[in-house]
Amino acid sequence: MAEVAFVFSGDLVQASFRQFALHRAARLALAIDFGASGERFVDVTVAGDDALIDMFEMACSLGPYDCIIHDVARRDVSPSNRN
Amino acid sequence: MTIQPIWSPVALSTMVEPSSSTGAVVNGAELVVWRDSSGKAHVWEDRCPHRGMRMSFGFVRGDHLACLYHGWQYDTAGQCRHIPAHPQLEVPQTIRMQTFATAERNGLIWAGATADVDPALLPAEIPGLVPVRSLYADCTVAKVMATLGATPLPGSDDAPALETISENYLSVSSGPLRLFVAIQTMGPDKVALHLMTNQGAPIAALARYAQPLRLSLETPLAEVA
Repeated sequence: MAEVAFVFSGDLVQASFRQFALHRAARLALAIDFGASGERFVDVTVAGDDALIDMFEMACSLGPYDCIIHDVARRDVSPSNRN
Repeated sequence: MTIQPIWSPVALSTMVEPSSSTGAVVNGAELVVWRDSSGKAHVWEDRCPHRGMRMSFGFVRGDHLACLYHGWQYDTAGQCRHIPAHPQLEVPQTIRMQTFATAERNGLIWAGATADVDPALLPAEIPGLVPVRSLYADCTVAKVMATLGATPLPGSDDAPALETISENYLSVSSGPLRLFVAIQTMGPDKVALHLMTNQGAPIAALARYAQPLRLSLETPLAEVA
């Protein structure tokens, strides 16, 4: 288990990206918490299995059809148990 | 997602071999129809939860259906069991397919509107049926009913008798010859008809009868063309 904070930035439709992230987190059995957000960024923290967090990052870096993600910043909040 | 009606035919049983998959549409809902290696049929939403790839493009491995795109494998209950990129991962229960009740009756594979549809609501079993063919037409169900009622069966010049067995299953008969028609409504103006008959009936003649039948069903389109 790990906890990772992401900042996704780009051309965002907030409601759309938020719904997309919530859906993917639910699909991947991740806990999700939204932090600050603005016109061009959203702060998201997820917790769960390392591999599933990686999948979440990949999915959200592609984003919903009406968002274009230009950059993803990733910060480990809790240490991973990854070998 | 639910599909209507309560039970819809999706394929002739003989058209889906063990360890193979194919696609079907019921009222706009895209479905994968597949058989595991033991021959048991399954109907699911035709969409991998991972990246949305059609599962009907996938391949069967034992009792798992694998997505063509990244190889995610789902067991017969629709639960993801294996992700090739993360072979050690204990896949969470949240990664699963939407499944539909599936039954085989009268030589057809039927899909239920949800996962828990009562099999007692299937059309009654009629023993000894053999498949003729399926045909696909761009027309309404009303047009199907009218055309079937007006098109003589092989060996007859008279309009046949129509008998409704259930809301999407009927028999068309003329003398001793009886054709069973299961109607799969694909959309408002698109249907698939799955034809069966009794053992010993002239299957080739009935298959040939279906050719002009399809043209009649699509008459307005055929005239424009």
